[in-house]
Amino acid sequence: MRSYQSVLILKPDLDETQVDEAVQKIEGFFKKFGGSSHRIERWGKKRLAYRVKKNRFGYYLNIYHTCENDKLSQLEKEYSLYETILKHMVIRLEERDLERALTRAAQAEAGEEAKEGTGKAVEGTDNEDAEEVVGVAE
Amino acid sequence: MTFTKKRNLFAQKICRFCAEKIDHIDFFDVKTMKPLISERGKIVPSRISGNCAKHQRQLTVAIKRARNIALLPFTVER
Repeated sequence: MRSYQSVLILKPDLDETQVDEAVQKIEGFFKKFGGSSHRIERWGKKRLAYRVKKNRFGYYLNIYHTCENDKLSQLEKEYSLYETILKHMVIRLEERDLERALTRAAQAEAGEEAKEGTGKAVEGTDNEDAEEVVGVAE
Repeated sequence: MTFTKKRNLFAQKICRFCAEKIDHIDFFDVKTMKPLISERGKIVPSRISGNCAKHQRQLTVAIKRARNIALLPFTVER
């Protein structure tokens, strides 16, 4: 069993409960194909660098998961048939890639928690991120 | 001479990833990749950016993945 990273772009006009539903459904896909999710990250609504199915924005999901090797094509087919997903990308991860990604994510989380104590610093960085993305799109 | 002018514009000769001891470039790290794509959305060649071959290879893969998932543009229309 290999590990994979799936980046999914969901429709931009979903509210939190609909996103939860989508996440549950996607986790259902992994179970169906003999895998499980290591970690689910929600990057939130971002501006896309180009239009995808006539949408300028998208809700990003980043999932580290496992899947049976020969069922990956079926998983990708499920992604493309699920209408909430605008676009998907699946990357195969080697053991060390997965470890690095997970430790990095854990560190980032710890850093954010530390920043939340200071308050305003977090907001500042968030805004900068948003501007960066907009700049790229133009 | 135009050559010296160019050199001054991109005076940095050291690979910026080696300098910061980054061993892996993530495709979702748009902030680090942004200065390494041109206004048109092209990848800046290593002869200009000064990146080492190892990191330039990683960078191209990262940028191409980011393009695939709409984090970076393929082209920028003017």
